[in-house]
Amino acid sequence: MRGRRLAAAAVLALALFAVAGQASAQPCLIFVHGKQTNTNTYTSYSSARNYWVNGSNDFIRTATKEFATPYYVIGYNGTRPYWESQSAGEVANEIVNATNGGADAGGRRCATTYANGGTFWVVAHSMGNTVMDYILGNNDASDPNFNYNGPYDQVAARISLVISTGGAHRGSQGADAVCGNNNLFCNFSAIFIQSCDDATYWLRSSDDVQVRTYANAPAKTVWLTGGYEAIFGASACLSGEDDGVVQYASIFACNGSATASYDNSNVCNNSNKQEASGFRNLDACHENHDDERNASDSDVRKAIPGGNWLCNGVPCAPNTTVQSSMTTARYITLLY
Amino acid sequence: MRKTFGIVMIVLSAMPAVAQERSWLARETAREYREQARFPESSRALRPGDADPVKEKRTATAQTQAGPEGKGALSVRAESVSFEVGRPIRLYATVEQGIALEVTGEIVGAAGDLVATFAYADDGRGIDRKAGDGTWSARVRMPEGLQPELAASYMVKVRSRLLDGDIRESMGGFLYSNPAAHLTGRYRDELRDGSLVILAEVDVTRAGRFHLAGTLYSMAGEPVGTAQAAAELEPGRQWIELSFYGLMFHDREVAGPYRLGTVAFATTGGMPNALNDLVENAHVTRAWKLEQMTERPFGNQRLLEAAARLEKQ
Repeated sequence: MRGRRLAAAAVLALALFAVAGQASAQPCLIFVHGKQTNTNTYTSYSSARNYWVNGSNDFIRTATKEFATPYYVIGYNGTRPYWESQSAGEVANEIVNATNGGADAGGRRCATTYANGGTFWVVAHSMGNTVMDYILGNNDASDPNFNYNGPYDQVAARISLVISTGGAHRGSQGADAVCGNNNLFCNFSAIFIQSCDDATYWLRSSDDVQVRTYANAPAKTVWLTGGYEAIFGASACLSGEDDGVVQYASIFACNGSATASYDNSNVCNNSNKQEASGFRNLDACHENHDDERNASDSDVRKAIPGGNWLCNGVPCAPNTTVQSSMTTARYITLLY
Repeated sequence: MRKTFGIVMIVLSAMPAVAQERSWLARETAREYREQARFPESSRALRPGDADPVKEKRTATAQTQAGPEGKGALSVRAESVSFEVGRPIRLYATVEQGIALEVTGEIVGAAGDLVATFAYADDGRGIDRKAGDGTWSARVRMPEGLQPELAASYMVKVRSRLLDGDIRESMGGFLYSNPAAHLTGRYRDELRDGSLVILAEVDVTRAGRFHLAGTLYSMAGEPVGTAQAAAELEPGRQWIELSFYGLMFHDREVAGPYRLGTVAFATTGGMPNALNDLVENAHVTRAWKLEQMTERPFGNQRLLEAAARLEKQ
């Protein structure tokens, strides 16, 4: 009997220790939204915050474990090219503000500053990742566009990693279709790509606008996840698997052609990325481009080459179903 | 006890897939940073089998657009990512699973302005390598007066009419560059603090910020590592230094001489950057010995600090 009490006490102590440890080691999550068809997320905090919300579903609430994890929401001008001052410059300045303990436009702030030992993880969706690639690939004085319009070096020094969901690392064939006046056939989601505005122009899949042409390998690792749920009409214009706006070659930052056709079995592994280092696979999910950022579709998740799911103690074979119902936001909670 | 162990084993073997343990992402990222910290950000070793990243960034890729129901894709590409002002633009188009009767193109500026219309040919003449091979080629001269201050991006809209009457469309692009400096072709190499420094001479016509990147190869043809540098330069002849960190030669166990296999030069300081043509086989170094190179890890403090913080998570 005494032994059982001691064991129970030990279990309780271990549990408390684990909870305490978890609280002290939590990163602050910094959210960077994607392409916009207007400037609302730049001028209005509620627009930037609502980017991650759909009805009662809230990506940020889920990813932060019901707001137990500190977070900071960035709003930038998503109609401008990824490299401009109101996009990359704004994002860089806001990240530095977050790491200094400053509040976002909604009054939220990270609990611990960088100076006091805080850690910061960026969670970016869609074009937010193109912006981050530009910042993290131009953080060193030897890089082509070092500190082009903001403190990229401080961003790279202070954040620990990036989690990329539906990232437009190699642009979007949707942008090709819209800028090529091919949109009637493809019917792209007006939420993200309405016209060939400046941001869309710079998200095309040709090499002259690709972020890798103007940046080096990211200074901090970008972990990749993304969806393969098609959007009727739009997906007809995208190569291989896609989330209805961005094709796999871009979501998973593959080298070679940005329009190459990939699926969960053969998407580029960690040795075949757009840069020699800095990009790593996590997994894939049956979400479309919208679901990836608003946690409204708890669906199947699949293993991909070099990802982080284990089956019987070893990496799961690509295309193995690893979860039957899990949003990307919920998946992120498994990572910290 | 044995029974309990057996039950646990059965349960474990029946468990579905699980994500790596909660601290895995932080630990794995930290491990990667500790490995990368062995080199400065400006110079990295390449692993055996790695492609040349400097060449990859300057090699044009194809943009492929599938036809209805995924059939008969049209692939388009430019000969290179960027063309220097005055050079003809060389463009290619291929129809997959179909026979094209004609392929035409438009060059359109970022503001939607039509710059040129042209026809591709598959007749084996001029830049078209072989008649009837399905790869259509075009050589276009940009109109006079379009010289950008630094560089300009152009879209290439391509349309193909097929034998069955179907139409295929695709979209590519290229950069039209007006760099403010050029490599003169003069190089020299020296050893400094255990690293190999290759100096490249450039002729600057307009003051600005410039970026140089290069990949070093073994004489057996294996890429060994890369280096990059950036500098603000005034007009005139100047030297830019590429420092290849010595540890890379120990990692790959390669002694000199080395071949500077690819060199990419650019005028930066504005977007888009003006890209010079890629230079290949630029220089062969002296026969430096492995013992002359540093074996000391660089110790990138920014990455080591990041690793330490992640390891606490």
